[in-house]
Amino acid sequence: MISIEGLSKSFETQRRTSHLALADISLDVAEGEFVSILGPSGCGKSTLLYIVGGFVQPTTGTVAVRGVPVTGPGPDRGPVFQEFALFPWKTVLGNVMYGLIEQGVARPEAEAKARALIALVHLEGYENFYPKELSGGMKQRVAIARTLAYGPSILLMDEPFGALDAHARTGLQKELLEIWERDRKTVLFVTHSVEEAVFLSDRVGVLTRAPGRVKAVVDIDLPRPRRRAELLVDRRYQTLVVDIEGLMDPPTEQRP
Amino acid sequence: MTWRLAALPGLPPLIACLALLGLWEAAARIFAIDGLPPAHEALRQLPAILGDREALLHILDSVRRMAIGCALALAVAVPVGLLMGRSRLVAAFFNPLLMTIYPVPKAALMPIIMLWLGIGDASKTLVIFLGVSLPLIYHSYQGARAVEEKMLWSAAAMGMSPLQRLVRIVLPASLPEIFVGVRTGLVLALITMVTSEMIARQSGVGNILFNSLDMALYDTVYAMIVIIGILGFVLDLGFEKLRARLVAWAEPVHQIAVGTT
Repeated sequence: MISIEGLSKSFETQRRTSHLALADISLDVAEGEFVSILGPSGCGKSTLLYIVGGFVQPTTGTVAVRGVPVTGPGPDRGPVFQEFALFPWKTVLGNVMYGLIEQGVARPEAEAKARALIALVHLEGYENFYPKELSGGMKQRVAIARTLAYGPSILLMDEPFGALDAHARTGLQKELLEIWERDRKTVLFVTHSVEEAVFLSDRVGVLTRAPGRVKAVVDIDLPRPRRRAELLVDRRYQTLVVDIEGLMDPPTEQRP
Repeated sequence: MTWRLAALPGLPPLIACLALLGLWEAAARIFAIDGLPPAHEALRQLPAILGDREALLHILDSVRRMAIGCALALAVAVPVGLLMGRSRLVAAFFNPLLMTIYPVPKAALMPIIMLWLGIGDASKTLVIFLGVSLPLIYHSYQGARAVEEKMLWSAAAMGMSPLQRLVRIVLPASLPEIFVGVRTGLVLALITMVTSEMIARQSGVGNILFNSLDMALYDTVYAMIVIIGILGFVLDLGFEKLRARLVAWAEPVHQIAVGTT
């Protein structure tokens, strides 16, 4: 479904030197697979996701989706960002409908579909609220519904629950899995939480610290549907978390 | 006590106006200068001016030029500012130009512009246009620059082209900041309007004001100043109403009403 080959990315820094963020990343993601990218902060894992999204151009290497090289953003790859990135001048309903209207869906039909998605993310009754009136967890639910609305076959999730408190985070992890179980979209999920990656994924790719390289790809062969309460006391889950934590580099130190 | 005053929204400004008029009246009586008639004498001129067809046509001329100047500025300055905010190339092109023009008082250009366009509507409208454009460009630029990248990426993923994103994402997202520019622009429009009519006396509010000054009709001079003040006040009031409607989504949410405890 997604094939990433020999990808590297370097940025021009303020001092006109080049900073290598990603080096020689190769990874294949199968259709319907849930893959997490795990790494210490500053390892370039979000950049990898932006390149797959077509928002950032790689320095070398290619990304192809179903064999077609990625040259820019497209509705087949729906992003969900840590910053939510909702349209603040639109209500919840307006945000979720936006992509549908954009694709020429008739208004009544788009509204019906948006209302169903709002119900799916448990936000009934909030249709006419503006983003500023919502909590972080609710904003991220809206963002997920907005992305699901235009029917991308791939979800690109950039630390989507990173800005949320622990309670909202576990709640949304559970909801995301429920949604994923329904239509099994391909998901590329960036996180720095080992537990989150193990809980959600079929496979976890561990990156080294900057420049990010694939250090290991770990299969998570835990049965689905997964329930947090059961997994937390499951020996295999605990072993996977401990093993993967052992693979993680300490975060990049800030050098002056 | 303060909250009771605030409960009547019209009351504090009314008290402020009455206090100002009282001070004026007192100063006029104490100093007894020719050039400072008492407030009641100036105010007595108001019905006469506002009931005079000729004077009303002058005021209408001024307002018309101001409206056209502002509309043109909106049509030109907002797109330029938004483009500057989203494109480094466009910003690099316009920035030095704008930095040069910004500190020049636009009314000072009036005599030159009069050489090209005469003393009629065209030159006055152009000066108002220039005066309003600069703050509008500046604030549109700042607004567009601050638009969250991820918001634009989300729109791009929906299949929106760069032009669509500029009109349908950057423009609404920058609206609160653009409105700051519009407010500054309106004040500047009023100032340039009066100044342009002072320099090219042919019609308008400024024309009545400065002709009366020349003829030592001080009551009329002060009455005109009051009229210009009221004009500014009404414009600002209307603008605030519009702003509150259009960018309510950007106002901070007040969890606790101030002064209730």
